[in-house]
Amino acid sequence: MVNLTIDGKQVTVSKTATIYDAAKEVGINIPVLCYAKKLLPYGACRFCLVQVEQMKGRLIPACTTPVSEGMVVTTTSEEIQKVRKTVMEFLLVNHVLDCPVCDKGGECDLQDLAYEFGSISNRFEGVKFDLPTDEINPLIERNMNRCVLCGRCVRVCDEVVGYGSYSFINRGFETKIATAYDRGLNCEFCGQCVSLCPVGAILPRPFKFKARPWQIKEVDSVCGYCGNGCTVTLGVLDNKIETIRFNDEIGVNDGNLCIRGRFGYAYVNHQKRLTKPLVRKEGQLVEVEWDEALQVAAEGLSNAQNGQGVGILSGARLTNEEFFLLKNLAKTIGTDHLDHSGGECYKGVSEGLNETLGVKASTGTFPQLESCDVILAIRSDFWETHPVVGMVVNQAIRRNDAQLVVVADKRGKLTKLPRARTLLTKAGYELSILNAMSKVLLDEGLAQVDGLQNLDAFKAALSEYTPENVAQQTGVDADLLKDSARKLAGAKKSAILLAYGLPYTAQSKELAAAAANLALLAGIPGRAGSGLYLCGEKANSQGAIDLGVLPAGNGLGAQQMLTAAGEGKLDALYVIAEDPISSYPDRQMVEQAMDKVGFSVVQDLFLSATAEKADVVFPAASFAEKEGTFTNAERRIQRVRQGIKSPGEAKTDGAIISALANKLGNTLSFTGEAAIFAEIGKDVPAYAEFNYHEIGSQGVVWGGETLAPTRRNLVSVSAEQPASADYHLVTGSALYHSGTVSVHASGPLAVMPEAYVELGREDAAALGVNDGDLLKVAGNGVEIQLKAKVDNRLPKGLLFAPYHFGNAGLNKLYRGEAVVAVSVSK
Amino acid sequence: MNDYPQVLFKNRLPGETVTLRSYEKTGGYQGLRKALKMSPNEICELVKDSGLRGRGGAGFPTGIKWSFFPSKAPGEKYLVCNGDEMEPGTYKDRQLLRADPHQLIEGMVIASYALQATAGYIFLRYAYEECAQNVERAIAEAKAAGYLGENILGSGFALSLHVHRSAGRYILGEETALLNGLEGKRPNPRAKPPFPAQRGLFGKPTNVNNVETLANVSHIINHGPVWFQELALTIEGSGTKLFGLSGHLNRTTCFELPLGIPLREVVETYGGGIRQGRAFKACLPGGASTPYLTAEHLDLPMDFNPLEEVGSRIGTAGVTVFDETTCMVAVTRNLVQFFARESCGFCTPCRDGLPMVSWLLDKIEHGLGNHDDLCLLAKQVQNITGRSFCALAEGAMGPVESLLRLFEQELKDHIQKGQCPFL
Repeated sequence: MVNLTIDGKQVTVSKTATIYDAAKEVGINIPVLCYAKKLLPYGACRFCLVQVEQMKGRLIPACTTPVSEGMVVTTTSEEIQKVRKTVMEFLLVNHVLDCPVCDKGGECDLQDLAYEFGSISNRFEGVKFDLPTDEINPLIERNMNRCVLCGRCVRVCDEVVGYGSYSFINRGFETKIATAYDRGLNCEFCGQCVSLCPVGAILPRPFKFKARPWQIKEVDSVCGYCGNGCTVTLGVLDNKIETIRFNDEIGVNDGNLCIRGRFGYAYVNHQKRLTKPLVRKEGQLVEVEWDEALQVAAEGLSNAQNGQGVGILSGARLTNEEFFLLKNLAKTIGTDHLDHSGGECYKGVSEGLNETLGVKASTGTFPQLESCDVILAIRSDFWETHPVVGMVVNQAIRRNDAQLVVVADKRGKLTKLPRARTLLTKAGYELSILNAMSKVLLDEGLAQVDGLQNLDAFKAALSEYTPENVAQQTGVDADLLKDSARKLAGAKKSAILLAYGLPYTAQSKELAAAAANLALLAGIPGRAGSGLYLCGEKANSQGAIDLGVLPAGNGLGAQQMLTAAGEGKLDALYVIAEDPISSYPDRQMVEQAMDKVGFSVVQDLFLSATAEKADVVFPAASFAEKEGTFTNAERRIQRVRQGIKSPGEAKTDGAIISALANKLGNTLSFTGEAAIFAEIGKDVPAYAEFNYHEIGSQGVVWGGETLAPTRRNLVSVSAEQPASADYHLVTGSALYHSGTVSVHASGPLAVMPEAYVELGREDAAALGVNDGDLLKVAGNGVEIQLKAKVDNRLPKGLLFAPYHFGNAGLNKLYRGEAVVAVSVSK
Repeated sequence: MNDYPQVLFKNRLPGETVTLRSYEKTGGYQGLRKALKMSPNEICELVKDSGLRGRGGAGFPTGIKWSFFPSKAPGEKYLVCNGDEMEPGTYKDRQLLRADPHQLIEGMVIASYALQATAGYIFLRYAYEECAQNVERAIAEAKAAGYLGENILGSGFALSLHVHRSAGRYILGEETALLNGLEGKRPNPRAKPPFPAQRGLFGKPTNVNNVETLANVSHIINHGPVWFQELALTIEGSGTKLFGLSGHLNRTTCFELPLGIPLREVVETYGGGIRQGRAFKACLPGGASTPYLTAEHLDLPMDFNPLEEVGSRIGTAGVTVFDETTCMVAVTRNLVQFFARESCGFCTPCRDGLPMVSWLLDKIEHGLGNHDDLCLLAKQVQNITGRSFCALAEGAMGPVESLLRLFEQELKDHIQKGQCPFL
């Protein structure tokens, strides 16, 4: 710690702090323009110049100068004010003053500074720029005439997002910020530049001329898409989300968002939202009153329970409180057939981690990732499923020189990060590589084996997984594999990342166990700062596991329920917040289940493909319309807050489930989410220590920053051999979408409007395929047509198709395999 | 015609470049042999004792700069030679690399050994293709002779040297901008700290020195610090300096002269006096960013401290002389235009402030100025000096500040006459 004096106040701060940080600590606000909390010190705007007694003779930039012991700082004086006024004047030489028609008006840093220094005039007849506005894309508008060249957009895109869309071009007075070749912006549209632009130079187009900032009501909630759990601040006007506001003061994400969080909110306002309950009458779904719909559903479900039983399938976007009510409902109905998210993909956590570590969650937290020395990511898709964790990985690399190792069947954003090492494997062999890395640690005596159970059996089971064998099988270089294992074991702090979700169903338990074995040998679980991260695809995937939305006793899991329904052995299905026909593996099976089942209830935001086959459809509320808690992929419980009222008569899942339970004779009632949360604590001990009302802006993490394993058990797992074929198809998440909800959101759709199949240039050339051509992809006896996307991400013989677009019918082909053997033709 | 001891130019012959063989004949690479028998720390101490100050313009003591370098840190460390000679009126490094490139190579090997650097980069101005080829040839010769590469002269020390041809911008002379340029990035200067010695090229410890500075090193090792100190004519100075003469002189070439030589001697003896017998009016003593000297300064010794005492700097010792018929407002306007154009656009005072100064000077030069403009000009000098991110803008204010200080009447004449009095 360092002691210094700022404007007469004594401050004690960490020695890595800057003068600006130290001043902020004691409530002294030094004006800044180019400074941004999450970016590296820059020092370009020169607003923050201060006087330092020990550095007489010149003014010192507060935002780049580190503190030193005994420093005496003066932040305002006549001289300093004069300088700041001059900087203001310099900036206004070429800045257009079109504040009346600028959306930034009212929250513009330049406006605020001009107000503070009382000046918009300047003594120079400067040249105002007249540059054309970039509005080629539908999401981000760039008006470089308003730019103050603070470089925040350039820096955030490079330092945080790792994309590098922007750069300065030209020199001197003509300097401006441009994209490559000064063309229209064409990037991944995460909108970080929008968030960080201090003026109206980069603005969200969907919000253009919608409102003045002060008219907007801000509601801090949690993004409803992935398990990252980013705080999103809803900008609400007239019961409509008009924009997502930037807020870097709260939450795990430091204000960072991806395109889904930043521009994917529009589905909430979508005109096709269900607004009234529907009941099938004479073959048609017709709108009815709630009471009737609930009555029909209650009767249908209780009749079915008296017959061959009811199965309940939930999505992982319900709040913890709603999951609690759902479990209660299952009890009321009397069924043990309860499951979520397709029933398979999460088994890496519920079984894989449980058997190895005795816990069912990631062991570290996301902020700790930034200080890891070595990060092993399994699958390049981790960035696509959890983009904002990807940004933390990027910062670990750029700021702390972390070494990233990616075990993946294809290249992606992760593999392009600085010094990233890619172990590019034949598709479906990730598990073999993890086993081989474990073997390297054991054989070379680098493993931490104290207290590990089952060591001998595990060693024996690994005998075939020599780096050389695995190298031959997978195409990964054996020396690189060995060196990566050594790096992981030698790191002070290290992390292993693995995402799970509907498109990653195959061997999910085994893959997670292999990762956990490796983590144990590398001493990761339970070590402060290190962590094994298994990250769920949906906003509350972890909550679903914590609350046990799982088959109880002899209850059927999702796949068995659907199979049973298809065979006429289950009489009713209740599907909540999920569109299995569009997104579950093996569409034929799901369709057959929905066709054959005697009675079905679907509860969703939209009339999904599954809902179209239901007997009763309940209109549900989105994340923005409810209160409660989500638990993100690092065990952080955060408050979801209601920003708007639901459209029409749509109700929250919790309200619908409660009403249905009441119709079925359950008289339990809870007054609000806090009461339910307290009740959860009785079932889930980890939640018992928290009070709903005391969950602050950073949320609360159950099990602590570093979750201690209760068991250290090595579990031998072996890899399935993928079927051999000329072409292999893998599915997964695309950066722009999450599950099947985002296909209703105009933002993500603007960038990725439809399904596609991606293939490498070599294959494209061999097939004579160009970007955009229709390709016939056949496998598992089914042929579908998809638009081709040609790039250099995929090795020869591998195809990738994202799973989000139900209408493309990808899940007719994909039945949960790691790799689908396919044939391809034009 | 030069009576002073020649060190850097001792092998220089018109139109010729010294080969390895002739370089060795005059004692070449003896300094390296000697140095490799010393400890790195001893070399640093020797250079510190010699009083060698950086020859690139800022004049920072080289030995002290080296002593900040974490030579014991593990991993790669770099020595970068700054040969981005773009200061208007400065062409000494070109003369040196044309004549005798091995001095640079030898100096860089010794410096790398002293700093324990693992690789060296020679960053050359885009227009210096001839020099680049000379240096590349010298590197190849040195490598073949065992002065470069693995296990240099059996010492176990290894070094590779690389020539980088700059894309060419004035800002690249700023050492952190140069490092960005070398990495293939836009050459904006970097925030300090971290200083290049901590986190420089590719994030590794890096030391940046000027061509002439490095060329002096082998001579210091060879002849010792006392000899080097005694080369200068002033007591506190040390070494010789390459003076590149330009402007209204009868002879505009580059001379190696002792530091501390009176300006008058530079102008009259070596410059051959002012052209057409006119009178000396002013000069830029060390490149375009150094404040003017006038006739009253003619007897000043040309060394770091004496020039700083009169508010100027020796800079690169590229002396540009103006005769009595020159309009100093026009000269200054021309210089500021150059700096405004070459600003990288990174920080506000430089990017937006320099054009303002340029416009003001333009206005005054064209007789459109008034008294307020003069006040404003003076204020802008204050507002820019010491406020910018790197030294570019501050350097740009050097001539402007001295114009206001030394040629106030000339500025007023422009305003009173409504036109340039020299027209």
